[in-house]
Amino acid sequence: MDRDKLSVLAISDSGFIFDPVTGHSYTANATGLRIFELLKEDKSEDEIKSILMEEFETTEDEVSVDVDDFIENLKKYFLV
Amino acid sequence: MKIVVAVSGINAVDNPGPGTGICKALKESDLDIRTIGLAYDAMEPGVYMDNIIDKSYIMPYPSGSREAFIERIKHIHSVEKIDVIISALDAELPIYMDIEPVLQELGIKMLIPTKEMFKTRDKLRLKELAETIGVKAPEYRSCTSIRDLHDSTENVGFPCMVKGPFYEAFKANNISEAEGYFHKIAMAWGYPIIVQKFITGDEYDVIGCGDGKGNDIGVFAIRKMTITKLGKVWNAVSIKNEKLIEATRKVVKGLSWRGGFEFEVLVESSSQDIYVLEINPRFPAWVYFAAGCGINLPERMVKLLLNKEYETNSNYDSGKLMIRFTNEMIKDIKDFEQISTTGET
Repeated sequence: MDRDKLSVLAISDSGFIFDPVTGHSYTANATGLRIFELLKEDKSEDEIKSILMEEFETTEDEVSVDVDDFIENLKKYFLV
Repeated sequence: MKIVVAVSGINAVDNPGPGTGICKALKESDLDIRTIGLAYDAMEPGVYMDNIIDKSYIMPYPSGSREAFIERIKHIHSVEKIDVIISALDAELPIYMDIEPVLQELGIKMLIPTKEMFKTRDKLRLKELAETIGVKAPEYRSCTSIRDLHDSTENVGFPCMVKGPFYEAFKANNISEAEGYFHKIAMAWGYPIIVQKFITGDEYDVIGCGDGKGNDIGVFAIRKMTITKLGKVWNAVSIKNEKLIEATRKVVKGLSWRGGFEFEVLVESSSQDIYVLEINPRFPAWVYFAAGCGINLPERMVKLLLNKEYETNSNYDSGKLMIRFTNEMIKDIKDFEQISTTGET
């Protein structure tokens, strides 16, 4: 996963994300925003899942699906 | 003393010319400019926009007599003392390239491409150009008959783009649609008609101005967010894309481009490869977007031509939106009478 792209994205607290290279914009929910933050902090996917389990008080299965899906989407949109 | 700049393409209609955007940018520059509109029809909206165009004149069509065209400019020059002409229409560029030495003798300056540059960016030579600047060009064929069209669409496949030599492009999903567009475009703009492979992706534009020595005097890039049925940008967002800017600068350097330009590209969704679609040899209708973001290319062009100091930076913010809108003006029939009967406002 190439995380360099994350540093150029303009991410607002409302969850609005603007990619200044492609001009595309996206919206993310609170969980998505948190995943962005953790990716930018260079956390591994496993670390992100553990942190989210703790913060959102949810199961490993649920978190795994959400994180995997979200990262797949980021790849699909060439954001990582 | 005011600088007098004559600008063509003041047809701010559904297929808008760049003239009114250029005049708006000039009026917002730090120069004291008198803008002269060069119209081809009394109903061109710019003729009536006296907030940005100080006076307008009707011109003879560029496809007509060269002498009549020169005489008309000489007449306007005798009244207005024109310093600079900014040509903003593809169809009139050949005559301006032809008469530029005559205009120079009159003291009128222009920054336009040479005939060789104009030919190199021709839609039919995109492959060569794309190779030179390290991007791709969609597969295309040139057609001058229905038989050519059938052969070309068989080769390129459907859907495909059917494009005119100067303006207009339509997506055709089958041969009957392609034939319809072929006739429609040929009737309006003549031949050749270009059949181009359709590529799924996002359309981007970079505009700028070359000094004729291989340098740009500023570039500005956008992603088209909404386009009209005629393929014209309606809404756009400014972007900072180094790959696009680098490709644009290669064009400017490689051709020693002289004048305004619009570099139209498509980035393929699946591969992110850049495909060059067109290089328009003039500013586009949305040129004011760049000026509004601090890259006032018409102002820089005028300053360059008049040997004044000009900026060359391309420092602008990404994430600025251009929202185009429709508007109405209420004028008196006397305004129409004036331009229709005397050929000037």
